Amino acid sequence: MYITKKHISRRTALRGMGVTLALPFLDAMVPARTLLAKTAAAGRTRLSAIEMVHGAAGSTTFGLAKNMWSPAAVGRAFDLTPSSMSPLEPFREYLTIVSNTDVKNAEAFGPKEIGGDHFRSSAVFLTQAHPKQTEGSDVHVGPSMDQLYAQRFGQDTAIPSMQLCIENVDQSGGCAYGYACVYTDTISWAGPTDPLPMVRDPRAAFDQLFGVGATPEQRAANRRTNRSILDWIGGEIARLRSELGPSDRNRLNEYLEDVREIERRIQQVEAHNTSGEPRELPGAPVGVPDSFDDHVKLMFDLQALAFAADITRVFSFKMGRDGSGRVYPESGAKVPFHPASHHGEREDRIAQFAQINKYHVSLVPYFLEKLRKIEEGDSNLLDKTLVIYGSPMGNSNVHNHKRCPLFLAGHANGILKGNLHLKAPDGTPMANVLLTLLHGLGATDVGSLGDSTGTFDLTGVPSTTEMGLGA
Amino acid sequence: MVVRPSRTSEPGRGSRLRRLTLASTGALGFSLSLCIAAGDAASTRPAAPAMSASHEPTATLPLASQRVLVDEYCLTCHDDDKEKGGLTLQRYDVARAERNAEISEKIIRKLRAGMMPPPGAERPDAAAITALAASLETRIDRASAVRPNPGRRSFQRLNRAEYARSVRDLLGIDVDVTAFLPPDTLSHNFDNIADAQSFSPTLLEGYLRAADRISRDALGDPDATPGSTTYKLPRTASQLAHVEGAPFGTRGGISVVHNFPADGEYMFRMMLHSIPTGQLYGSTARGEQLEVSINGARVALLDINPRMSESDPSGMNIQTPAVTVKAGPQRVSAAFLQRFEGPVDDVLAPVEHTLADTQIGSALGVTTLPHLRDFAIVGPHNVTGVSETPGRRRVFTCRPLSPDEEPTCASNIVSDLARQAYRRPLTPDDVNGLMQFYRTGGEGRDFEAGIRTALQAILASPHFIFRLEEPPATARPGQNYRLRDLDLASRLSFFLWASAPDAELVDAAARDTLRVPAVLDKQVRRMLADPRAATLASRFAAQWLRLQDLDKIHPDPLLYPQYDHTLADAMQRETELLFETLVRDDRSVLELLTADYTFVNERLARHYGIPNVSGTRFQRVSIPDVNRRGLLGQGSILTMTSVADRTSPVLRGKWVMEVLLGSPPPPPPPDVPDLEETHAAKEGRLLSVRERLEMHRANPACNSCHRVIDPLGLALENFDVTGAWRIRDNGSAVDATGTLYDGTSLQGPISLRQALVSRSEIVLRTFTENLMAYALGRRVAHYDMPAVRAIVRDASAKEYRFSSFVLGIVKSPAFQMSRAEKEADP
Repeated sequence: MYITKKHISRRTALRGMGVTLALPFLDAMVPARTLLAKTAAAGRTRLSAIEMVHGAAGSTTFGLAKNMWSPAAVGRAFDLTPSSMSPLEPFREYLTIVSNTDVKNAEAFGPKEIGGDHFRSSAVFLTQAHPKQTEGSDVHVGPSMDQLYAQRFGQDTAIPSMQLCIENVDQSGGCAYGYACVYTDTISWAGPTDPLPMVRDPRAAFDQLFGVGATPEQRAANRRTNRSILDWIGGEIARLRSELGPSDRNRLNEYLEDVREIERRIQQVEAHNTSGEPRELPGAPVGVPDSFDDHVKLMFDLQALAFAADITRVFSFKMGRDGSGRVYPESGAKVPFHPASHHGEREDRIAQFAQINKYHVSLVPYFLEKLRKIEEGDSNLLDKTLVIYGSPMGNSNVHNHKRCPLFLAGHANGILKGNLHLKAPDGTPMANVLLTLLHGLGATDVGSLGDSTGTFDLTGVPSTTEMGLGA
Repeated sequence: MVVRPSRTSEPGRGSRLRRLTLASTGALGFSLSLCIAAGDAASTRPAAPAMSASHEPTATLPLASQRVLVDEYCLTCHDDDKEKGGLTLQRYDVARAERNAEISEKIIRKLRAGMMPPPGAERPDAAAITALAASLETRIDRASAVRPNPGRRSFQRLNRAEYARSVRDLLGIDVDVTAFLPPDTLSHNFDNIADAQSFSPTLLEGYLRAADRISRDALGDPDATPGSTTYKLPRTASQLAHVEGAPFGTRGGISVVHNFPADGEYMFRMMLHSIPTGQLYGSTARGEQLEVSINGARVALLDINPRMSESDPSGMNIQTPAVTVKAGPQRVSAAFLQRFEGPVDDVLAPVEHTLADTQIGSALGVTTLPHLRDFAIVGPHNVTGVSETPGRRRVFTCRPLSPDEEPTCASNIVSDLARQAYRRPLTPDDVNGLMQFYRTGGEGRDFEAGIRTALQAILASPHFIFRLEEPPATARPGQNYRLRDLDLASRLSFFLWASAPDAELVDAAARDTLRVPAVLDKQVRRMLADPRAATLASRFAAQWLRLQDLDKIHPDPLLYPQYDHTLADAMQRETELLFETLVRDDRSVLELLTADYTFVNERLARHYGIPNVSGTRFQRVSIPDVNRRGLLGQGSILTMTSVADRTSPVLRGKWVMEVLLGSPPPPPPPDVPDLEETHAAKEGRLLSVRERLEMHRANPACNSCHRVIDPLGLALENFDVTGAWRIRDNGSAVDATGTLYDGTSLQGPISLRQALVSRSEIVLRTFTENLMAYALGRRVAHYDMPAVRAIVRDASAKEYRFSSFVLGIVKSPAFQMSRAEKEADP
């Protein structure tokens, strides 16, 4: 709940300025903008929802048999060695794997939709709804879970949510198979018809989050200037008030509240900076790096910093683009991403595709490590963060959406315990897992998400057994 | 109950004794003679300012006849039991229309539009309806003349558009404020309505950031560090033809004015479109080259490798070497060299919207060419300083030659800037406050840094951001008072220019002469003749007509391949140019409906089938096809009232009711099935939109509104989703006939236009209400309607010239006065 009455301290601040005001009126002022950063809500869970496209090698029959994604054992004693998730071993205590869920709404519903999976799937990942096939502006899918969370709790922070991506986006127009590009371009939907653009340039994201200024010194100088300007504005408003009618005075008071709020935020940033923790980037990024590795890590840096400074608590992050022909030299595989995903079910090529999957996952520990190092209160940020990583596709060779890759990292303020592999019963919608997470995040009023059929126990430990190759 | 009113006077024209046969009421049928009187309206016209023009007397009715009309025709639905439309008139008394002005105005509006009594219900003679409306108007206007209410609003803040224009007028640079300020809330169509302009920490932070960035952009930044700015091209923009601003001999690409922060080295990076599997879109074209130019001079020419692919180390990017560029705004273009001209003869003919399907981008037999996706400017590296720029020339009006001269020069510069930014003469306190920023910003060493910091403070100051209007100290609560001339000057300039007043206007106000009618008149005419008055088209008309909705419609490219971003831009420009002409040439506002001329460029002319227009530049043409005259024949309006794959007679009808008639239909009840859910085909044949609409309308609950809305839109069915003329819809012949709510029969656009022209009174009032709301920055309320009517009446004597509406508003009490508020209760 973010609608609240004023802080006592702020009333005192107003009085301290020599402003005489009827206090009951203050309480009647538009209240929803009051921020709670310093109160109980400060510990609220951070969310980073990451999408990787093209499914995983582990979703093929061969990959399942070889445990290329989901480990053989459920419960706690699972072996990650053969899995593309093996880079997460150091964060095992923070890892909850949910295997064997389906994203049915990414399937084709009619003959015209067959084959269009690449141009439909991304829109389904966080909405779990079925996109309307159109290249026009009449796009329709559903609200995404990150936005359902941000709409309820994002107002506590300066920026309710932020959307980041790695590959280029076009926003408008048609892509292929009769689908508007926007379905491929973003995973965040504020409503069924309201796609949110994603930011690709780390510098643009940086400026939005941390203000203008390339170096810490410049930003510090800017903060000083802004503080003195704010101080002066406060004085000017006090001077103006006496000349105006009552309702105009009230409006100015509102503005004065905002002045105080921004002053408070600046102080907060400065307090962080003087605490000696390396929370500032050494320098602002120049633009979009050529290297995928650098680009992804920069986007993770930004997310960790924004979480630490409590500027926003919700990120969605699209790490790939359907049909992308990018080559990832660091993965060891020289085949472009999309051709690699159409491996023709050949074992050697599936293994090659698994290398790419593993490389993508291997970038996540960088983020988790950053979060674990940031202390907040008596725990660290990884304890308070929910990272969702998954793909709305399963076996990309045949464009199916069964047994899709999905893992959760972080303890999300206790809703996850970690060190757990859960295998969903066949046919379980991924939506059930996302809905359960939303409830855990506090959005308990959300009754369903996409094709969800219920919730999913994310903490119960199943008995550790070797599983057959059913599926 | 039989009423037999007597004749009160014989009007000069048109009004004569009429016999109205009223349908049976209760058991008895009876007949009633109604006498329509006229003539007394002129003598009772309110004596508000500028309401002196003569006008034709309006017929009014004796009181008893008014009562009979209300009782017999209105109360059947609007009684306490039924309360249709949430309105009961059971205790409404026509004799006290002015005491119930809010309800009276609702009645007047519906009667004047001819929408009440509703279609299907019994209706009195049209003249009786008009006479009833006129009678109510007369009574209300008379009362308002005795006690005018100018209304009040709280202060406005600069919205995005006004902020950007004020900065341009102050510093001579264009800034993209959308990067800083949150979107403005629209209220009653407009983005400048004071009480909808909320505050938030995000907004304040936005103003602070804008002030910081703009002060650096204006003066240049010798400490600039490398950054990147990316310009995206709309995917739906055509890249086959020349782009405005780019050098001739090029096709497609982009041309922007970019503000370079410092002299130094910059790199330009272009990303090209790829086909879905990652190879270059347009790879079948060999020898394509991309040129980067600054102010028309080539700085780089890059070969495009047709084999380039996403899987290359640098992906789909091409980058120039470092290029030395001077600080300030420079026009930068990245465009392809044009290698051939004329129609392409290939197996498949390419369409304008060439990226509709990127899969064709490597297919033989379809001529495709590489397309630019985005354009990034990266830098500066190796900064060498800051050259002279327009912003610097404007700001640095003096140059200190020694440290001793610095404070005086700085004080002059800061005062000049602040006077213009604050839109008033300065007080010593103003200057002293700002000079502190000069001193701390420069730390006594750096003159320019000091000026920049003072400028930053000016741009963040409440005196700049807010348009505060100070009530006189003597104003008692509830009392009307006249605005100070300086506040009047700001109201004028933000109304006519969407920006701050210029020196001449401020001077007139500072001498307290602006309120003198002759001076005011002269200033208004001067301002209307200024190019800045084009904002009346690009801001007022665009918002009134909802042109912003055009961006939200992307017609299905498979059905409408001729439509793209470039055509949409041209459509919007056409509408703005028509309105600009009304402003500049002071023409009749009714030409919005009837103009037999319009403005087109080659693309739009081809779309409309108008011959002999070439090039990207717009030119005035006369419209040979009578169907296409006026707004109702313009692609902008017709497209934005469609959905992606079909026309929407409902949206078009709603647009006419809302925008032109000022009577929006009520929102649909919940759980109404969408039109898309009705069958698209029947008996092996695709259904026309009209047929689907008729099935949808079979539901009586829907029909009561849709029989009003739909015929308006169905009359425009000959215009397809993109506003192109058609004679078939889904294979069936277009049927554009229908019956207007008042019984007028419609046979297409011409008859609809005629029906609206015959109701021009209500169209002009709606226009005036909107113009007034935009001028005042507040919603127009029922107590403003007497002024609205007077303005329209007076404009009739001036052939409804645009300036007569502007002057009417500017001279109205609502514009010049305000009502002092009561103190808030403690």
